[in-house]
Amino acid sequence: MTELSTNHFLFLSAALFVIGLMGVLVRRNLLIMFMCVELMMNAVNLSLVAFARETDTMFGEGFALFTIAVAAAEAAVGLAIFLALSRRAHTVDADEFHALYD
Amino acid sequence: MAWNLLFFYLLGGISLLAAIGMVVAKNPVHSAIFLVLTLFNTAGIFVMLGAEFLAAAQVIVYAGAVLVLMLFFLMLIDPQNLPERGGGHPVQRIIGPLLGVILLLEVAAAIANRAVSGTTGNATPENIAFVGGSTQAFGNLIFTQYLFTFEVVSLVLLIGVVGAIVLALPERLGERLSTISLGHPRGTDAALPEGTGAAVPVTRADRQATAALEATREVILVRDPDAYTEVKSR
Repeated sequence: MTELSTNHFLFLSAALFVIGLMGVLVRRNLLIMFMCVELMMNAVNLSLVAFARETDTMFGEGFALFTIAVAAAEAAVGLAIFLALSRRAHTVDADEFHALYD
Repeated sequence: MAWNLLFFYLLGGISLLAAIGMVVAKNPVHSAIFLVLTLFNTAGIFVMLGAEFLAAAQVIVYAGAVLVLMLFFLMLIDPQNLPERGGGHPVQRIIGPLLGVILLLEVAAAIANRAVSGTTGNATPENIAFVGGSTQAFGNLIFTQYLFTFEVVSLVLLIGVVGAIVLALPERLGERLSTISLGHPRGTDAALPEGTGAAVPVTRADRQATAALEATREVILVRDPDAYTEVKSR
């Protein structure tokens, strides 16, 4: 592995994705979980672009651009939901939202 | 060691460390700053992969707009609502990283043993240089083959903006906003004929009588529209 190959980018992408996944599983703060989801999307973008470069196509980059746009829309809606939730429950801890369970 | 390998390890290492910092940081503001660092380094890696437009979009949209939105939200929320309370079930704190490490090992094995198959496209470095660069080739793709998708994504963004505005509004507008109205204390409707309703047409004379009264009415500022019903003597 002394030459820069697609596998380098794929390993980095996998590591970033797993760190984001661990954050979603371990942390209970909705905001930090949300940032971890953004990190996972970013890791997937990275592997999409790496594969696109490997197979000499542009499609991966197109997918990555659409992912960025959808992530921006998701951020706007998600943060608005968190704001409404924190107004109602006075917390952003994910474990505190169990109204359907009770 | 080749220079591009060195830069890859530099950018990748910083982005990994910042990602770990983002997960372990207690304060969400620190997490957001770490996320900015990760995204900037990933943008650098996009440049290494020859996707300059995506790197610019990443910096502008992710590191700019989304993170500013998050920090704005952090300023908007009451600080004592922010901390985690229980911190999750203890088993969850062990199982989560364990599952993550297992997934990482699986994916790493898959990457190490993968074989490239299928045909390659025509976006070779020579062809990209021929059309004028990566951004031009990308634009050709987006505005020909992916034009419909592009329009749909713009619609998704529009709906997202409208949804965010609707969701972030206070639940009862009356809680935050006061009602501003021209005064309608009891008794000032005396100018209208008795039993005014939909069946009785309002004549020009009635309008003139009420207009004269409205000119002398005071502006009343109340939290609740029903609060002010007293007859006020002028």
